[in-house]
Amino acid sequence: MSLSVVELRASAQWHFPRPYGWKTALAVMVVFAILIFTGHRVEMDRAAVLTGQAIGIAAGAGGESQVAKGFTAVVGKLFPLQLDERTDIDRIAGFDPRDLPPLAHVETEQTSTRTLNPETLKLDMVVSHKQVLVQPFGYVIRVAEKMFETWEIALWGTFLAIIAGLPLALLGARNLTPAPWIRFASRTLVSLLRAMPELITALFLVLAYGFGPIAGVLALAVHSAGFLGKFYAEDIENADPKPQEALTAIGVSRFKMFRFAILPQVMPQYIAYTFYILDRNVRMATVIGLVGAGGIGQELKGRYDMYNYGHVGTILVAIFLLVVILDQLSSRLRSTRL
Amino acid sequence: MTLVFDDVSKHYPDGTAALNGVSLTIPKGQFCVILGPSGAGKSTLLRCVNGLVQPCRGRVLIDKVAVDASSLKTIRPTVGMIHQGFNLVSRSSVAANVISGALPKVGAMRALSGVFPQTYRRKACELVRDVGLSELHLKRRVSELSGGQQQRVGIARAFMLDPAVILADEPVASLDPQTSADILALLAREANTRGSTVLCSLHQIDLALKFADRIVAMRAGAIAFDGAPRELTAEVLERIYGAPNVTRLAGRARP
Repeated sequence: MSLSVVELRASAQWHFPRPYGWKTALAVMVVFAILIFTGHRVEMDRAAVLTGQAIGIAAGAGGESQVAKGFTAVVGKLFPLQLDERTDIDRIAGFDPRDLPPLAHVETEQTSTRTLNPETLKLDMVVSHKQVLVQPFGYVIRVAEKMFETWEIALWGTFLAIIAGLPLALLGARNLTPAPWIRFASRTLVSLLRAMPELITALFLVLAYGFGPIAGVLALAVHSAGFLGKFYAEDIENADPKPQEALTAIGVSRFKMFRFAILPQVMPQYIAYTFYILDRNVRMATVIGLVGAGGIGQELKGRYDMYNYGHVGTILVAIFLLVVILDQLSSRLRSTRL
Repeated sequence: MTLVFDDVSKHYPDGTAALNGVSLTIPKGQFCVILGPSGAGKSTLLRCVNGLVQPCRGRVLIDKVAVDASSLKTIRPTVGMIHQGFNLVSRSSVAANVISGALPKVGAMRALSGVFPQTYRRKACELVRDVGLSELHLKRRVSELSGGQQQRVGIARAFMLDPAVILADEPVASLDPQTSADILALLAREANTRGSTVLCSLHQIDLALKFADRIVAMRAGAIAFDGAPRELTAEVLERIYGAPNVTRLAGRARP
């Protein structure tokens, strides 16, 4: 059938192409099937039931809910937050009551413990008194110091990730590295780095470098370098090729072309990625402290293991505040003319 | 510099024959306009000069030096190029775009720092003034400029290394008629003061007649006409573009 024959039909009789066909329907069905199959395996149905019960209780419907109980217990333990630092005076070497730190005062704490009397074989209540030094906001200051250390770990993890990720990106981008085997090697390395979870890397690095921030910084750097290497490379490949062609035409080397024709184009995206990684590294730095790689995580783990949930609450609020503040700062910075 | 096309052919992998045995000699300092319908092989012809396209057969010689893989590194900096889409970095400043034309002559570390030698900075200022922009434009982003101003930046960049040959690939295709005439006048003037040979593809016949020393018309990868502007008759145009066209003839009628 020639085109002119088709054109003879009045446009009122034409069939406007349908936006969805059987392929779309099939794809939707496949997606649904996968979700139903996997959802049952990861107990999403049970999660829905449990959450529903909890919401029912919260709304005043009554009944029993394990989830609601759990939440109430946790929140009850986290609050009130621990703000002050209390130290047993007996444990402070060379304590001088006339020379207290600023804002600090001494309190007497009364503790009662049940002990088994060896003579009567009965439980007796023993009341003991001890003097404690109370520093209001002492614990807040300690958490702030630890938070700053956490941020420093994240900052250096990010910095080292840029130093390692950018060259890998240049070697992995099609328009900058024509040799396919170099590209393949670079991309494989980047995938490998990205595949190494910080927590596991930190665990091994703690063995090698000992407890402290070095393991944390390196663990973050390894994973983030893999992330940045991939995303930097993708932006290089997606950059507008026209300015690149203009410089290639006059014989400019690939490295100089990257500097002048690609970098100015990708800069806003690079800053966005890098800030995202910094943001993520701050959150990850809190977590990898759990295995002894420095920062607030080490403090969090210690307090959690000692059942000091008030302290844990203070730390969680501090982490939340830091992430919010960094997010605000980075969005401010991105909106300025770069 | 004399530019010689010696029996140049280019067949793309998809089977299209962009050039079919083109032979052409363009003497130093000539403003040569290439006309022809879309797909006639104008861009391919231009791109053979600086090796953006490698001919399948034949060769291009610039002052008797053949353009090939070994000579490309020295030849490319002597061939300026002006593009249809301006091909500037729109987020960068006018200054950065213009001075990037000197990159082949600048070391990698200097390029990385972005601080160019004084001679090139002065040259860039001079060119920005010559193409009709002011000092205030230097810091402006290219994306803030009009199309005509952007092509002025493109011309300034192309002349940074005083090229012996200028390739202009439909340099005014997206500009209005008055701006197009201004841009071509600018290109002709700058090329003339430096004695640069210009190879310029165009779709506007009136502009070709006004600025060209010589017009070469192509059709299906071969030269269909080669002569002075006054020799380009309505019959020739009909032969090149296929059908008689009133607007094109109106262009011909201009003084």
